[in-house]
Amino acid sequence: MPFPPSLARSLASFVLDDEQLSRLDELYFQDAGHGYDAFGMHPSFIALGQAIADPMYRRYFRVISTGHEHIPDVGPAIIASNHSGNVPLDGAMIWTDIIRKTNPPRVARAIADHFVPSLPWVGTLFARSGMVGGSRGNARTLIEAGEMLLIFPEGTPGIVKPFAKRYQLQKFRVGHTELAIRHGAPIVPVGVVGAEEQLPQLLVSRRLGKPLGVPELPIPAVPIPLPVRYRIYYGPPIPVHEDYTPDQADDPEVLKEAAGRVKAAVNDLIQRGLKERGGRIFA
Amino acid sequence: MKYTLKNVLVTGASTPVGERVIRRLIDDSRVDQILAVTSPKAPLTIPESDRLKAVPVDLRRERRVHSLLFGPAREMGVNVVVHTAMEPSASKEGSSVHAFNVQALRSIISLSERHPSVKRLVVRSAAEVYQFRNNLPVLISEEHELNMSRGAPQWVRDRVEADLTACTRMGLSPLQIVVLRMAEVVAPGTGSQMFDYLQSPVCFRPAGYDPMTNLMTLEDTAAALQRALHHDEQGVFNIPGADTLPLTACIRQWGRLGVPVPDGMLTPLYRVRARLTGREFRYGMNRRRFHYSGVLDGRRAAQVLGYIPSYPIAWPTA
Repeated sequence: MPFPPSLARSLASFVLDDEQLSRLDELYFQDAGHGYDAFGMHPSFIALGQAIADPMYRRYFRVISTGHEHIPDVGPAIIASNHSGNVPLDGAMIWTDIIRKTNPPRVARAIADHFVPSLPWVGTLFARSGMVGGSRGNARTLIEAGEMLLIFPEGTPGIVKPFAKRYQLQKFRVGHTELAIRHGAPIVPVGVVGAEEQLPQLLVSRRLGKPLGVPELPIPAVPIPLPVRYRIYYGPPIPVHEDYTPDQADDPEVLKEAAGRVKAAVNDLIQRGLKERGGRIFA
Repeated sequence: MKYTLKNVLVTGASTPVGERVIRRLIDDSRVDQILAVTSPKAPLTIPESDRLKAVPVDLRRERRVHSLLFGPAREMGVNVVVHTAMEPSASKEGSSVHAFNVQALRSIISLSERHPSVKRLVVRSAAEVYQFRNNLPVLISEEHELNMSRGAPQWVRDRVEADLTACTRMGLSPLQIVVLRMAEVVAPGTGSQMFDYLQSPVCFRPAGYDPMTNLMTLEDTAAALQRALHHDEQGVFNIPGADTLPLTACIRQWGRLGVPVPDGMLTPLYRVRARLTGREFRYGMNRRRFHYSGVLDGRRAAQVLGYIPSYPIAWPTA
């Protein structure tokens, strides 16, 4: 970012209280020498990111979450969630929720599509907050370093799916299961309810997305996200790393089967959330 | 354990990197004789002694390289060659530059393979051989994609070709070959694009981007080369520096003012700067690394060579 970390922290202090700021000092973080990790994450910018997300998290989307006990305190882990809402606010809310609800706080390193690091300002802000581009090498390096990854196995097809297909999971890619099996990481399934209704979509345009550097640009029916209530459910970890041996990470059938288990677990959490919510989208 | 003293030939001895290596070798009790190969136009600034001998050689000419290796080097019983010579200027191009950057190394390899005493070759390569792109990992391992872009300038192409020339002989040659892909050295006379970039009071950068970069010092460069020449392993190793930081922090710590401008303006802006001031920085050459992060992964060098960057940059504003 064009401004120094000290300024980022000062800006964050306008929104976050001293307790919230001091909690972030305990963040698990591998300093590469100048206060940043090799991927560009910096604790002061995490604080700034929290400050930016805080009003949305607490007041606008009024996030309710359960099952934090399933998030490992230490060690490698993969958070696998459904993806929806046309803009990745679901990722921002999970990221915020995990930092707020884990003690000491952990940052879920979101794995974004390749185009995200190419986006000016957005790519940089996301990188400072812990996001990395979705290359195999990045994910492997982080998981080997004992980090927790936030992966949306549906990818872009999940986030840009039409309103009529809400809460219908798209095809789960298998990369996250390969990582988990090979590197001994449990997969924590997450179901997000609410994001699907935040920005109903009119259409998706590839042509309009091209100049902006995004593969598909959703055109929403409303100018800003609706104040839906977010519900985030963390399920019990799926121990794929115990059920399969690391050399099975090269077996396409095993990966497919494991991805199927994750998809079923995420779907169960979504169905539970929908049942609990009933028709109260905004309440 | 008995340790055989090394006799070392260092090319590029009159460059800042070469000189720093020689100074370290003079203080190294495991090194006996040092043969410093300088450019005919730039004599060695370190005084010669009974352990240090300087020879001016035009490495572009294979016959001269032959005379060097089978003349003074054979007499001295050189068993390790440390090749650091590489044209630093990005503005110099053509067959003569290619001969110096690539053909010289090719000659050194083929002649060393049949040399009676040379057993090991340490090649100084550069991180600039790697490709930078949004879909490539931030942490650059030795298996990372190389920059084979059609539009790459000769400065990059030559470095890639020289690197691959050494790599292709690994395991096939009786020589032990080590290629050290080093992070950019921020020092004058090293061909550092970043050093040149930071010489202006105002540093223009692409608006909206702030990639992570890794930089190193001459001292770490020399330390890595010194470690490599004493080891028995061969292979390719990334050699990162001690400073990993974003571009804006780099500009700030150098005491410069960073000004974000639209990307399209930077190439002409720096072209004009180069014309007016004779500076070497070319934005087109650095465009991708001014957009996408790339940090050398030094784990292999740490495990095998025991190299850990230890000399951070003395930032002017620190």
